Amino acid sequence: MHYLDIINLSFRTVISQKLRSILTALGLIIGIAAVIILTSIGRGIHSYVLAEFTQFGTNLIAVFPGKTTTLGLSGATISTVRPLSMADALSLSKLDNILAALPLVQGNARIEAGKKQRRTTVLGVGAAVPEIWKIKVATGRFLPANEQTNPRAFAVLGHKLALELFGDNNPLGQRIRIGSDRFRVLGVMEKKGQMLGFDMDDTIYIPTAKALALFDRESLMEIDLLYKSNMSVKTIEKSIKRLLQLRHGREDFTLITQDQMLKSIDSILNILTLAVAALGSISLLVGSVGILTIMTIAVSERISEIGLLRAVGAEQGTIFKLFLSEALVLSFAGGSIGVLLGLLIVYLISFTLPNLPVQLAWLYIMAAFAISLLIGLAAGVIPAMKAARLHPLDALRSE
Amino acid sequence: MTFSDTLIQSYSAIKTQPVRVLLIILAMSIGIASVTVLTALGESARLYIVNEFEALGTHLVIVLPGRAETTGGHPPIFGETPRDLTLADAQALFRSRNIAAIAPINIGAAPVSTKGLERETTIIGSTASLRRVRHLNMAQGRFLPDTDTNKILSVCVIGQTIKNELFAQQQALGQWLRINDRRFRVIGVLSSEGQSIGVDFDDMVIIPVTAAQTLFNTQSLFRILLEAKSKPAMYKAVDEIKDIIKARHDGEDDVTLITQDSVVKTFDDILMALTLAVTSIASISLAVAGILVMNVMWVSVSQRTSEIGLLKALGATKRQIMYLFLSEAAILSIAGALTGLILGKATLFILQTVYPDFPVYLPTWAVFAALAVALLTALIFGVLPAKQAAEMNPVTALRRK
Repeated sequence: MHYLDIINLSFRTVISQKLRSILTALGLIIGIAAVIILTSIGRGIHSYVLAEFTQFGTNLIAVFPGKTTTLGLSGATISTVRPLSMADALSLSKLDNILAALPLVQGNARIEAGKKQRRTTVLGVGAAVPEIWKIKVATGRFLPANEQTNPRAFAVLGHKLALELFGDNNPLGQRIRIGSDRFRVLGVMEKKGQMLGFDMDDTIYIPTAKALALFDRESLMEIDLLYKSNMSVKTIEKSIKRLLQLRHGREDFTLITQDQMLKSIDSILNILTLAVAALGSISLLVGSVGILTIMTIAVSERISEIGLLRAVGAEQGTIFKLFLSEALVLSFAGGSIGVLLGLLIVYLISFTLPNLPVQLAWLYIMAAFAISLLIGLAAGVIPAMKAARLHPLDALRSE
Repeated sequence: MTFSDTLIQSYSAIKTQPVRVLLIILAMSIGIASVTVLTALGESARLYIVNEFEALGTHLVIVLPGRAETTGGHPPIFGETPRDLTLADAQALFRSRNIAAIAPINIGAAPVSTKGLERETTIIGSTASLRRVRHLNMAQGRFLPDTDTNKILSVCVIGQTIKNELFAQQQALGQWLRINDRRFRVIGVLSSEGQSIGVDFDDMVIIPVTAAQTLFNTQSLFRILLEAKSKPAMYKAVDEIKDIIKARHDGEDDVTLITQDSVVKTFDDILMALTLAVTSIASISLAVAGILVMNVMWVSVSQRTSEIGLLKALGATKRQIMYLFLSEAAILSIAGALTGLILGKATLFILQTVYPDFPVYLPTWAVFAALAVALLTALIFGVLPAKQAAEMNPVTALRRK
């Protein structure tokens, strides 16, 4: 029997039992669609989080005080007997291949402008913020460079803070009060939005030395370093370590490269996507049991038909192929409709809920489709073998 | 036809098709097993986290310096503020009568050393109350003495990791421990707590708060931990603390208060939502199994058309025929559900043996819910085929072969 004939015949059998075929395929369709939707959401979250982290640029290294760091927050960040100083940051910035260094202190204070006031996050930073954090100044300019050790009392406002304190008025050149110290507004940053729950717009940037004085501390919380993108992280890391060890006499700091962090986040999120895919494929498994069941029934129902085919000269192989291709037609139909349905729902989601990040995970989609075909094969083999093994005489005789 | 007749009839109908039945039970049990396992894992994770948080203390209130304007966002974790939260602030809180114990906390990192062994570790400065507030247990010796907080006592309490690393195979009590440039006498060793919510009390040295303030050259506190006298007292204490600090800070409201139950509730809600999400994803497979039941019931109705015709000709009512097929679907699903429950239990048992530290617990309601859902699935998906059987015209049904 010609291959086309086999496919044609099994297609007609599938069509003749419309309701049964639809229900069987439906099991697969739901499973495949679930896998596609879930992995798309997983993939979307994956690229969303990675984008959040890479918006700061990828060739960054952060230096933290203290040797042991658990989840970025060690006791040393709060207070330490071996501080990371402004001088450390300054000498790090003079290293070869380091483009900029950003000494960082963070705190919380009340900002007063005229009669208005607001409690907000205070970031003690250097002039390199626009360059290192990839955030632009909307009006005015950022803190001046070359004023690390004895800076003037300038402040740059985040977008939201400027709006809250000055409304429609021009904040540039205005005097504000942070805690008990007076500052002059030099610029306003552009709108940046939330960054992993931290509102980048509800902040104020002041020179690091001023922030250290304001909070009465001597250690920086972090130094962010931007290095030349053509250099390898390893060399940079080595030179930073050597310099700081020379300055401190021992290794009392922790380096975290953006690379490392991205890699670990990436692997965590990949596991997440894999986990939801696994959850979705439970349905796929149940759907495949469905195909197996229906094929078993089909064989037992059509015993006399098989007998007739054998009697008119069909070989065992032909019978086997016939039933196998029937299972394949079912699973192919289920798989492709499932993929289409999944794609449709993913588009609907991204259309109606633009806040929920979805991204099609083509690898998983292709895998799901391939698995649906495999399911067809696996579920078809046993019933098809059973059909092929039937003795033509017995088969014809049975009713 | 009595109820038991219906059951017996459908049971004998099922028995004639063992392969088909086994496959349906398999499909159903995969669904039920995955739902039960995932519910159990979610529930256990929820209980585990909630217990961890509840073990932190009783009626605990945390005072952090600094306050952000937007509520619901991050609390100011680092807590650097122009106006410090001081020891005097902490002591002033005793004015509230709803507070049972106050533990000011200072935290930092410093190298600790003894006899040439050095290790950088977290140093906590606090008072005798910390033990009560944080429910710490001693393995050896005693905790910080309950004396005037302003006096600098050179004593320390160390965690298990510190003891093992610095005083391996020897008595730690009474020994001198050097923290940066100061010496402290070890007066107690904490019993091992393991990691509790990110805070490793094993790798920690606790010294009197004033000693920590001199060590780190600061007068600000990192946190103040409070234990309220009772749950209603906790809410009153929160308001009173706000007032006391405000009065001391020139009328400025610059602290954030976190109550333990609000933290517990947040995590409870998050994990509950997570469990629900995971379970509902898994129950998609139950819907797929339901479709399979429906499909097979349809096949069974069409195969037994002449039998239905005969039954109808003998006087069976529509209702009886419908019950016959429905109970067949119900028996199949319940069998699947029971198998699934056993499978789920077995998986959980294996998980429990592999990870003995994580208590896995299958809530009773989940067992009943699984059975109920399976039954419901059978009835919903069985109703259409059963109806079709019931509506058949006896004459045409009998005539068909």
